[in-house]
Amino acid sequence: MTRTFKHVVLALIVFIWVLPFVALVTTSVRSETASKTSGFWTAFTPTELGHRFSTHDKGKTEPFVTMSGNIFERLNQGRDSFEIEGTVNSILFKGRVPDPDKPDKTKLIRQLINAGEPMDVRGGEFVFHPSGDFTWTFPEATAPKPKNLDTFINQNPVFGPDAYIEVLFENKNVPNALISSFIVTIPATIIPITIAAFAAYAFAWMRFPGRDWLFVIVVSLMVVPTQLAFLPVLQGFSGIASWATSLNAWMTDCEATKTCQVASKSFASLWVTHTAFGLPLAIYLLRNYIVGLPKELLESARIDGASHLQIFTRLIIPLSVPALASFSIFQFLWVWNDLIVALYIGPANSADLVFPIRLQKQLGTFKDQLHLLNASAVISIIVPVIVFLSMQRYFIRGLLAGSVKGG
Amino acid sequence: MAQVALRGVNKSFGNIDVIRNVDLQIDDGEFVVFVGPSGCGKSTLLRLIAGLEQLTSGEILIADRPIMDLPPSKRGIAMVFQSYALYPHMTVFNNMAFSLDLQGVSKADIHQRVEAAAKILQMEHLLDRRPAALSGGQRQRVAIGRAIVRNPDVFLFDEPLSNLDAALRHDTRVEISKLHNQLGATTIYVTHDQVEAMTLADKIVVLKDGEVMQVGAPMELFNFPANEFVAGFLGSPKMNFFEGILTAGAGSDTGQFEGEGLSASGVRLVARDKGNGASVKLGIRPQHLTPDPHGPLKGTATLVENLGTETVVELVTESQVSFRLASPESLDIATGQTVRFSIDSAKAHLF
Repeated sequence: MTRTFKHVVLALIVFIWVLPFVALVTTSVRSETASKTSGFWTAFTPTELGHRFSTHDKGKTEPFVTMSGNIFERLNQGRDSFEIEGTVNSILFKGRVPDPDKPDKTKLIRQLINAGEPMDVRGGEFVFHPSGDFTWTFPEATAPKPKNLDTFINQNPVFGPDAYIEVLFENKNVPNALISSFIVTIPATIIPITIAAFAAYAFAWMRFPGRDWLFVIVVSLMVVPTQLAFLPVLQGFSGIASWATSLNAWMTDCEATKTCQVASKSFASLWVTHTAFGLPLAIYLLRNYIVGLPKELLESARIDGASHLQIFTRLIIPLSVPALASFSIFQFLWVWNDLIVALYIGPANSADLVFPIRLQKQLGTFKDQLHLLNASAVISIIVPVIVFLSMQRYFIRGLLAGSVKGG
Repeated sequence: MAQVALRGVNKSFGNIDVIRNVDLQIDDGEFVVFVGPSGCGKSTLLRLIAGLEQLTSGEILIADRPIMDLPPSKRGIAMVFQSYALYPHMTVFNNMAFSLDLQGVSKADIHQRVEAAAKILQMEHLLDRRPAALSGGQRQRVAIGRAIVRNPDVFLFDEPLSNLDAALRHDTRVEISKLHNQLGATTIYVTHDQVEAMTLADKIVVLKDGEVMQVGAPMELFNFPANEFVAGFLGSPKMNFFEGILTAGAGSDTGQFEGEGLSASGVRLVARDKGNGASVKLGIRPQHLTPDPHGPLKGTATLVENLGTETVVELVTESQVSFRLASPESLDIATGQTVRFSIDSAKAHLF
């Protein structure tokens, strides 16, 4: 009983958690019309939709007695994706027929004709099947004008990668954003984790005066929110930038080409900011992991003649892989998804915008094109998912097995 | 020649003195065992020699060379840890080669020395494995191999057998003993197990609360304990103690004891500073009590343990002093029965 209950609750949580992602992915592979006209949950079952088709192309005037064709063929003419498939339910017939009340007049009627039922179109008998095949038979060879008919088609679900192709290849915004995001994220992950690993080892295993106090200070820095520090950080960067500009002017002949200005908001400022604000947590996590490594291992290495640096590179780093991997994922995700720091401190020119900013801008430009918006969103999600899955294999349990008793 | 000398060694952690004024001379090639109850400072003393802890005061010399300011790797020692402390991400070969690699020994030399050490320990077939794929005994052997490879002047063992099961412990003990004979290096071995101490040592150092209680050959300590602590610590079951009065012989080699219904003369007097009439304790090993219907010592059996090779009987005197009898024969004593004993004065001690 309680077990079933747990499973239900668990399933519910998973469902709620996964639903938005499913919605994103589904919408991104639907056609523009479909994504605009119906919710993503209707995408998996046949839906009845109306389509207008014309019996034949204009100018086709060869007289005939019986014309046969296929409604789907007609509809899919000129379409290269999201082709319509399914069953034809009915046709809404609109036309003039002789008025029974007034013998020499006609009247306009609207009538829903089901598949298989004959109807009178321009004096011929028009019959269609659910498969879309139709025949149009006249008593004698005739060359009628094309007739537009409105069909109701029970349409099969159809998906296609068109939105992705459009977003990725039709203009450079998303590819640029992807590249920029990588340029920001990779160094902003590697730099702090490298510094933090060294610091964590020192905090865990080296004796120096004030070590514990220093560690407390570093850890307490975790409570400083990035947002609070925007102003001073920006001031700092603009100070550095103006200094670099003057240096540039003095050292090079940039004044001739007017290229002396060094941007204060750049990829480098993002690296520095993310490193600075990522370090306290990184040091804290890694130090707690490294301090838990068996003391005897390090002592043994000391007796074997290893220096601190050798202990660090040859013991600590290989043994800390799980901790390093988990922090890398944290930092990667945080930097990859970061909007506000990039907005304030990152480069502002359109080609260098990172993915979250690009997405935010698309909210304006693509607000009517949900499929494109969602395709971009999925692309931005896919990257961290790949990173996570590829890091997965480093979460090795029992890495210390065999080193010490009980380990 | 790698003799080790400790002179006035002190170590304190904060206000707590862990090692107090230890003086010790260890000869070249000697197998010395530090033994004592937990918290007596024996491991700390070993770590001081290894250089893993810094002295508070005093001197340590290895091969007549002061080593206090040298890092562990330069002291000519190798240490085997209780927990093996193998590098889990390296193969057995790399574990053993680690120190040589750090010293910059050539690849060919490393191979030769590791294989030589592996051969001594008969574990050539394990070289490619990782520690996780080894049994406890094999891991301990790798740890010993890692020490051998360094070709140290002094081997340090920190309770190397306490993580092994009883059968393996015995085998490994024998192996360590053989290894010592084979290599002939000075060895310092820490244990809390008096059996290991008695069987392995050329010289035992008994420690209590950071002080050396007695130093000597195993049988010397067993037969002539310098104080009550050593007498009680070595030997199994523990020595029996009876309180009483020193009636004669103060200041001499032997004394006379009265107490607990016992009257013994010519007993080895350890506490020479005590005067006649002072209260003393008579110590006698459970093995040295003889059942005797007319003996002076009377006790009621509370527990009889038949160990097969030995029978141990827990008894209590009329004044509720408990003591033990150990006999190689199986005795016909039931719980609750009152038995009389006589003691062999020549094997008793007065503390």
